[in-house]
Amino acid sequence: MENQGSNGVLLRTVGLTKRFGSLVANQGIDLAVKAGTIHAVLGENGAGKSTLMKMLYGVYKPDEGEIYMDGRPVTLHPPSRAREKGIGMVFQDFRLIPAMTALDNVALAAGSGWRFRRGSLRERMLEISAKYGLSVNPDVPVWQLDLGQRQRLEIVKTLMAPNVRLIIFDEPTSVLVPQEVRAFLDMLGLLRKDGFGILLITHKIDEVLACADEVSVLRAGRLTYRAERDEGWTAERLVSAMLGERTPQPVTKRDRAGKRPTEEARRSGHPSEEVPRSEPRFADMPPEALSRMEHPSEETSHPGCPSEGPGEVLRLENGAIAGDHGELVLESVNLTLRRGEITGVAGISGNGQRELAEALCGLRRLKRGTVTIGGKPVAGGPREFLEAGVACVPEDPLRESVVPGFTILEHMALEGIPLRRRRMGIDWRHAREALEASEEARALNLAEAGRRADRLSGGNVQRMVLARALIRKPRVLIVSYPSRGLDIGTVHAIQRQLIGLAESGTAILLFSEDLDELFKLSDRLVVLFGKRLLGPYDPAETDAFRIGERMLRGETA
Amino acid sequence: MKTEADLLPLSPQAARAVGRLRPARKIGRQIIVILAPFVLYGLFLLYNGVNPWELYVSMVRSAFGDWFGFGETLIKATPILLTGLAAALPARAGLINVGGEGQLAIGALLATMAAVWLLDALPAAAGIPLMLVAGALGGALWAGVTALLKVAGRINETIASLLLNYVAVFLVGYFVHGPLKDPHSFNWPFSPEIARQLRLPVFDGTRLHIGFLLAIAFAVLVWLVLAKTGTGFRIRVLGGNRIAAERAGIRVSLIYAGVLLAAGALAGIAGMIEIAGIEGRLRPTTGATYGYLGFLAAWMAWNHPLRLLLTSFLLGMIAVAGNELEIGSGLPSSSVHMLMALVLFFLMGGARGRKA
Amino acid sequence: MIADILTGALRSGTSVMLASQGELISERAGVINLGTEGCMLAGALGGFATTVWTGNPWLGALAGGLCGMLLSLIHACLVLDRGANQLASGLTLMFFGIGVTAFLGRSFVSEQIVGFNPVPIPVLSDIPVLGEVLFNHDPLTYLSMLLVPALWFVLFRTRIGIILRAAGEREEVLFACGVNPRLVRYAAVLAGGFLAGIGGAQLSVAYTHSWVENMTAGRGVVAVAMVIFAAWRPFRAMLGAYLFGAAQALQLTVQQQGLPISPYFLFMAPYVLTLAALLIVERRKRSSVPEGLSRVFAADADG
Repeated sequence: MENQGSNGVLLRTVGLTKRFGSLVANQGIDLAVKAGTIHAVLGENGAGKSTLMKMLYGVYKPDEGEIYMDGRPVTLHPPSRAREKGIGMVFQDFRLIPAMTALDNVALAAGSGWRFRRGSLRERMLEISAKYGLSVNPDVPVWQLDLGQRQRLEIVKTLMAPNVRLIIFDEPTSVLVPQEVRAFLDMLGLLRKDGFGILLITHKIDEVLACADEVSVLRAGRLTYRAERDEGWTAERLVSAMLGERTPQPVTKRDRAGKRPTEEARRSGHPSEEVPRSEPRFADMPPEALSRMEHPSEETSHPGCPSEGPGEVLRLENGAIAGDHGELVLESVNLTLRRGEITGVAGISGNGQRELAEALCGLRRLKRGTVTIGGKPVAGGPREFLEAGVACVPEDPLRESVVPGFTILEHMALEGIPLRRRRMGIDWRHAREALEASEEARALNLAEAGRRADRLSGGNVQRMVLARALIRKPRVLIVSYPSRGLDIGTVHAIQRQLIGLAESGTAILLFSEDLDELFKLSDRLVVLFGKRLLGPYDPAETDAFRIGERMLRGETA
Repeated sequence: MKTEADLLPLSPQAARAVGRLRPARKIGRQIIVILAPFVLYGLFLLYNGVNPWELYVSMVRSAFGDWFGFGETLIKATPILLTGLAAALPARAGLINVGGEGQLAIGALLATMAAVWLLDALPAAAGIPLMLVAGALGGALWAGVTALLKVAGRINETIASLLLNYVAVFLVGYFVHGPLKDPHSFNWPFSPEIARQLRLPVFDGTRLHIGFLLAIAFAVLVWLVLAKTGTGFRIRVLGGNRIAAERAGIRVSLIYAGVLLAAGALAGIAGMIEIAGIEGRLRPTTGATYGYLGFLAAWMAWNHPLRLLLTSFLLGMIAVAGNELEIGSGLPSSSVHMLMALVLFFLMGGARGRKA
Repeated sequence: MIADILTGALRSGTSVMLASQGELISERAGVINLGTEGCMLAGALGGFATTVWTGNPWLGALAGGLCGMLLSLIHACLVLDRGANQLASGLTLMFFGIGVTAFLGRSFVSEQIVGFNPVPIPVLSDIPVLGEVLFNHDPLTYLSMLLVPALWFVLFRTRIGIILRAAGEREEVLFACGVNPRLVRYAAVLAGGFLAGIGGAQLSVAYTHSWVENMTAGRGVVAVAMVIFAAWRPFRAMLGAYLFGAAQALQLTVQQQGLPISPYFLFMAPYVLTLAALLIVERRKRSSVPEGLSRVFAADADG
C-alpha cells in the first residue's frame, strides 16, 4: 500500500458541485483526506452527504469542481475507476448476497478472472480479519449473520481489494449496538495506524468526538464548518453547525382546550411571543369550543369516539418491535395518544420510525407489548386496526397505497368513503357524490375523482391518501412524513387539515423530518433514538436546538 | 434495470424527435407483429410443398364459411376459453395458475365417474346439471390442493399447479386403466361411454354442443364479477398492489383461495364439457394441452375475460387448421402448434416489458 | 431384478438428468425455461437426423446440443431483451418445439440408426451388481454422470459459479462488481438449452434408436420440476432424475411380474415427492430459491 508520507493528502476536492434539476445537492465542497487520518463528514439527513459520497465513489459525475489524487486531477466515474484508484466504500445497505457464504461474497467482489484459489483467498481473508479485529466466519452463509457481522464482512471485503488506500464508511454505526460501536472505533484506529485514509460519513456526534482527526460539517449542501482536532471543537459547536444557528423560535401553538397561550407567554417572559393569526378570537368561536376551553374534561360529540376517561385513545405498552431481519429496532416503548392531540415524532431516519408506524397500523406484529385502543386490546392485522378506528398515511404512498390503473374515486372507496351496495355491486354514484360533497376533499383541492391515481404527481397522491384518511374521521391517525417533497402551498393545506382533524377529536401521531413542522403542529414531542422512545416533551418548554441534540445524542445531554 | 448511464436525460430536441416518430413506428410495428408469424409459417409450408395461401384461405373459410366449420372452431375454443378464465381470474389477483390442465382433467374424471356410476338412469334435465356440478367440483378440489399449498404451505402456486398437472394426468390414467375401465374395451384404456341422454345437445348440422354457450356465459359472469362487484373490486386491488390491499384490510389469503377454487371449477367444467359434449368417454389424453393453451390465451388477452373471447377463438381457429392440415396434406396436426407459437413469439417480441 | 431396475433407472433417467442439470444452470442465474421440453425435442430430432446423415453418433449428440441451444436462444432473447414473461415465453417455446419437430421430423420416423450402444467399461463392469448397474451404459450416460460433480465444482468452487449464482440472487451486487448480469444470464440459458438438447439426443440416439413425434413425452417439464425438487443442487437433481427413471423401469418390472400396484402411482411419485420436499423446505427459516428467481414467481412475473 503506497504511503504518501504520514501526512500525505490522498484525495482533495475543490469546489465540488452537483445538481439534480433545480435542487442543488452539493455546492462548492472543498475537502481533503490525508493518509493515516480519520476525516468525518457530519450532517443531517438531506444535507448532501450521500451525494458527496457517491461522487467520490464514482457513482455520480460532478457538475463542477475538481478531484485530485496524489496531486493529479482524476475522474472517478464510473465506480470501477474509483476502485482502480484505490478508493473503497463500505455501504450502508451492504452489497452482499445473503444466500452465499462470506467467502463467496468476498470472491465475487475482490477476486478477478474466472477461477479463484479458494485456499489463498481464505487465508488472506482470515489474515485481514485477525489484523483488524473483524472476526467473520468465511463459510457461513450471509443470511445467518447479524447486522454487525455483515458489516464486518463488508469491511473485510473492501479491505481485500487490490491497492485500496482510502476507505469511505457510510453511516457505519447505525446498525451496531453500543458495544460493537466501541469495537468498530478501535478498528478504525488500527486502520489509521496502517496509513489508510478514512472518510467517515455520519450524524453521530459522539463518534466524531471520539475518533476523528478532522471534521467537515454539511448543511443544505454546503460546508458550514471545517476543523482539525488540534483546533479544538465542542459538541455544541458541531450541533449548531449541523442544525444552523437557531434562536429559540416563537412557537406556533394551536389553541388547545384549557391553555391560554398568551398568558403563558407573558408568564415565561418571552416578549417576542406572538399569538399567531390563525388562532380564532374568542368572540368568534362556536359555543362548544368555548365550553371545551372552560371545561376541559367535557367531551364534545365526536362521531367515532365513545367517551373515555382522561381522553386516552391509544396506548402502546412496553412495546418491542423487530425489523426486517429479526433484529430489535425498538424496545421498552411506552406511548400514549390522547384525543385531539398531535404527538410529533422526531428522530434521524432509521431509528425505527417505519417499524413503529407499521406496528400501529397492524402491518407489523409486536415482538412484545400490547396495543390498547379505546380501552380494548387490539391485535392482528390491518383489518382489526382499521376496525378499531386507526387510519394510516404511509411514508411512501405511491408504493404502498396506489393501485395501478385505479381512479382516485376507487382509491377513496378502498379505505375512506363507506361503500354502499347496489344489488351485487358497489354504488359508485353514491360514492362519487359522497366524495364531492366532502369538505376534506375540497379543502385539500383533490383532483377530480375520475383521474387515475398512478398518474398523479407526488403531491396529489399525498393529498388523496390524506383526504381518504380524513374522511373516515378516525380515532387515531398515523401519518408519516406528510410534507416530504411537496410545495409550500400543499404543505400548508395539509397542516391545516391535520390541525382541523385533531380539533375534531382524532389523536394524531405525526412522523416528520422537519423540526419546524413538528413544533408548529405538535402538542407533545417524542424522540426516537437508540432503540428507545424518549419524551414526551412539551414544545412550549423546549426548542429545536435541544430536540435536535436529543435526536443526535439521546438523553445524555 | 437502471444503470448509471440512465441518469443522463435526453435533450429536449431529441426527446421531441423521438416522440414524433412514435405513432408511425407503432402502427408499423403492430402490423409486422400480426403478419410476420403467418409469413414465416407460410415459408415453412412452402418448403414442405404445401401452399400456404390455400391453407390460410381454407382456415378462414372453414372457420366462417359454413356452420360446420364455425362450429368446429367453437368446439375447440370452448375449453380454451374456460381454461383461459381459469388462468385469467387468479391472475387478476396476482396469482399465476398454470394448473388448468390438471384441473380440467380431474373435472373430466369426476364428471365421468358421476355419469357412469351415479347418473346413468337420470333424465337429461337432471343428469346434465349434476354432471356439471361434478365436473366443477373435481376441478375445484384439484385447485384446492394448490390453494392449500399456497396459503398454508407458502409454496408458489405456479410450481405447485404445474407439478399437480402431472399428478392429475396420472390419476386419470390410473382410473382409466382400472376402476373406470370400460369392460368391453379389449384392454384399450378408456372409460365406458356415458349414457346417451347425458350428452350435451348439439346444433343440427354441426358437432357443436351447447357447451360453448355455457363458456361464453361464464366469461361474461367472470367479467361482471370482476368489474362490478365488491369482491371483484377487492380482487383487482390485490392484483394491483398487494401492500395497498393489505393496508386496506383485505383478507389476502381468503381471496387467493377463493379465486383458485373458482378457477378450478371453471377448468373442471371445461373437462365435463369435453366429456359430455365431444368425447363421450374419458381417455388418458382427454383435454390434453387445453390447459396450457388457455393460459396462453389468457396471457394474450391481458387477463381480460371479454378479450379472452377473442383470443380463445383465434387459438381455436388455429387448432382447427391443424386438423385441416393433417387431412389435406398429411402434415402432422401438431405442426400447427408452430403457428400458434410464432404468433405468440411476435406478440411477446413486440411488447414493451421490463428488460431483465 | 433390482439390478435391472437400477440399470434401467440410470439409462432411462439420463435424458431427464441432462436436461435438469442444464435447467439448473439457467435457474441459478434467474431464468426459468418451461420450454426445456421443446429444447429436448429439438435435440432429439437434430441428433437423430445428424446421425442418420453422417452415421456418427458423436456428431449427432453435438448437433442435438446445438439445436437445443438454438431454441433456447429464442427464450433468452424474448425474456432478457424484450422483457417477456418467463413462464409464457417458456410455454410457448414448448409448443413451438413440439410443432417444429413434428413438422420437420416426419421423414425420420421410420429411419434406423446404429447410434450409441452400451459400452461396458473393462474390469469395472465385472464387479457383481454394481458393475452391471454403473458401468454398462452408453457413452452419453457416462458423460452425464461425470457432468454432475463437474457442475457442482464449477458452481460452488469457482468464480464462474459465484458469478452465475450472483446473477440469480442479487444482480445489483453483481453489477456493482463490474459484471453484466444480462450476459451471464444469456450464457446460462444457452447452456441450459445445450444440455437439454444433448439429453434429447440421448433419448433418440442412445436409448430408443428412433424418432417419434413428441417422444420426450413430458420429460422436459419433469426436468424443470426436478430442479425445484433438487433445491437447485446438482447432486439432488441427479437423484431426482434417476428416481424418475426408476419409476419408469419399475413400471416395466411391475407389469412383467404381474404385481397389483398400479404403475400410475409410481409415475406420480416423483411429483408428489417434489411437492413434499418443497413443503419441508418452506418450513426451514430460509428458502433456497435463488432470489432473482423468486421474483419470477411473485406477481411481478412480467420480466
